Amino acid sequence: MIQVKYFGLIAEAANCNSENVAEENKTLSQILSDLTSRHQLGDYNFQVAVNKKIVSNLSDHVLSDGDEIAFLPPFSGG
Amino acid sequence: MKKVFLEGAISPEFIADSIAKHQGKHSIGAHNIFLGQVRGDEVDGKKVESIEFTSYEEMANEKLHEIREAAFEKFDLTCIHIYHSLGNVKVGGICIFVFVSAPRRKQVYEATEWLVNQVKTEVPIFGKEIFENEESQWKVNS
Repeated sequence: MIQVKYFGLIAEAANCNSENVAEENKTLSQILSDLTSRHQLGDYNFQVAVNKKIVSNLSDHVLSDGDEIAFLPPFSGG
Repeated sequence: MKKVFLEGAISPEFIADSIAKHQGKHSIGAHNIFLGQVRGDEVDGKKVESIEFTSYEEMANEKLHEIREAAFEKFDLTCIHIYHSLGNVKVGGICIFVFVSAPRRKQVYEATEWLVNQVKTEVPIFGKEIFENEESQWKVNS
């Protein structure tokens, strides 16, 4: 199972703060593509973190059971 | 891990107390403080009344720890304190407090600016500007 968290503008657009998705041997890019289309996030700008680290090369990333994915819109602290 | 996030605005008393706590550290010769205040911007005739801050706290705390470690490597500092608000902060309230101390002056100016820039660009904190009419828009850092 993979836990997915949504923040800020993305949580609002997805109307969801967090959910669990079954891994089913999917890659990170497949899971992201599924979630992006299910929540209609295609027009939004976001970065993705896995286990609290930003992933820059999404297609190369291999997921493990228990990983935590986060959808992060542009940071605006301060 | 040092505590960074505080609920609501950061009070002047909290800031004064932080300064007072350094009076026993006699290697320090210079302090520098950055305070970020919620600005009442006007957008299309609507005035910002407050900012609602949220964060991916677990990641933010890890990132802030890395930023602190990097700052100690980069600059000759005695101590660093970073505080940021979560939840609602009204216009005029302080939402970020960065406090840097060192033996000498030059390092604290450079380190403060570097730290504030790092917090704004690298830490997952999200601000939502709430207008007087209860509409809102997500803050964008410039």
